[in-house]
Amino acid sequence: MRRVGALARTALLVLAAFGSTGCASLWPDWFSDLEMPDWPAFDEYTESPKSYVEIALEHDFLVRVKPWERSVLARRDMSWDPDELEAARRNHTFFSKEASMPGGSAGGGGCGCN
Amino acid sequence: MRRSRRELRRERAALRALTSSALALFGAAGKASADTAIDHVQTSYSWSTYSEDPLESSKTIPNGDTKRYDISTQQVSLAAPITETMDFSLALTHETMSGGSPWYSAPDAAGTPVQIMSAPTIDDTRNDLQLHANYYTEEGRLGLGGGYSKENDYSAMSGGFDGERHFNEKNTTLSGGLGLSFDEIDPTDAAIYPTRPDHKTKQSYTGFLGLSQVLSRRLILQGSFTYNMHFGYLSDPYKEVFLVGGGTQFGDVRPNMRQQYAMLLRTNLHLEEVEATIHASYQYYRDTWGVNSHSFELSWYQTFGDSLQITPTVRYYSQGGADFYVPYLKKPGDPAKKFLQPDAFSSDYRLSPYGSLSFGAKAEYVFHTPWWRDIEWRGRASVERYLSSGDLCLTSVSVPAPGLVSFTVFSLGLTVVF
Repeated sequence: MRRVGALARTALLVLAAFGSTGCASLWPDWFSDLEMPDWPAFDEYTESPKSYVEIALEHDFLVRVKPWERSVLARRDMSWDPDELEAARRNHTFFSKEASMPGGSAGGGGCGCN
Repeated sequence: MRRSRRELRRERAALRALTSSALALFGAAGKASADTAIDHVQTSYSWSTYSEDPLESSKTIPNGDTKRYDISTQQVSLAAPITETMDFSLALTHETMSGGSPWYSAPDAAGTPVQIMSAPTIDDTRNDLQLHANYYTEEGRLGLGGGYSKENDYSAMSGGFDGERHFNEKNTTLSGGLGLSFDEIDPTDAAIYPTRPDHKTKQSYTGFLGLSQVLSRRLILQGSFTYNMHFGYLSDPYKEVFLVGGGTQFGDVRPNMRQQYAMLLRTNLHLEEVEATIHASYQYYRDTWGVNSHSFELSWYQTFGDSLQITPTVRYYSQGGADFYVPYLKKPGDPAKKFLQPDAFSSDYRLSPYGSLSFGAKAEYVFHTPWWRDIEWRGRASVERYLSSGDLCLTSVSVPAPGLVSFTVFSLGLTVVF
């Protein structure tokens, strides 16, 4: 058990390290849907370099996925709890066996288990 | 280069054709997103069995009871549209609980705490009904819910409302809710055990606020903050605390107020290349009893073909103990010194510092019967193993609670979408 604990701690450290360094080549291209500007970006007419603000405005700082592009987002396994009954039972089990509570909702009532 | 309107229109039509054909069973089934009222009646049944490992004999007194808790759970749910903009759902839970539970801990000859279990004679049932109704508009959703839970010795009545507001072409969603619960406890055998009260009440208030953001066509992120406040009798009437040198036991005494804070961050990512969806979440929790915890969870929803989905899940949890957790109380060795009873104390292993690791897997099979009422059937089987120990805690635990639990859950379910 002590070894499992140490392993879990090491795994977390490695995750944290890789996460922050953005070891991009190891991962699939998650943001390939984003259209990024050629760098440096020049204005079509004046041929002067564009400011960051102009680039951000043109390419929507927040990506706007259009209604007809939502087929993946509409998948059942892309919802937060694809199986509501099972999520309710699991949350109830963890709630009654641990000191914490599950977040993310205004939860139901209590029970004698905690 | 700006695309011409005609080009755009052609592109949209092509995409629409593509998406409608790409909506495989796992894509379109059921209530995929909470944007609109459901348009099909949907009902589910689930049966689960939860069983705790017996206590290791080294962690209790010689010939002590080692049997722990078993729970058999049945759940039924029904969701149906009322109008085009309204739907409702109800969920019923029936549980039967049996076995023994940790009572108090006491030091063995070497001073290490050992767990004393109650006799394995617990026999209780819980029935729970939850109702929820939603009203949808173009910009969001408003929900109203209520519930009632009843056990032989406990009852809880709860209610609340929640809502969602979409912004930014539904790419940003603000959600929130408020709820309350009134609970009553009438401990069994209160006449036999002097530490058990006759009748006590508890009130809970909860609120949450969340923000979710679509980051790309296949990546979504959500952050939320949940706050809970409890007043009243928050102790466990079935637990006791042993006093070394006093030859006596106290009842479990916890503060009569508790505030809880939880920050949850979760993300879903769909990998089209491998037909898989990854769910990852992290939650930080703390409360006014001194407990803080971290939980990490990762699930991999792997689709095989049109019908089969296998989902392995791993969860890691670590908590620091409550300020007033004690395995047992001790009288001062010097008889001249007076024993001062602390304001609050509990030997409940759930308030002790520990960590836990759980692994699970779920298989789901979906099929359509277009020749018979065009029903969609979803069968599921899942298993989960939960292990807890002091060594798994993020910080080192010198004396782990002897009552830490490990359990296995097995579950079967069927959902029918008409």
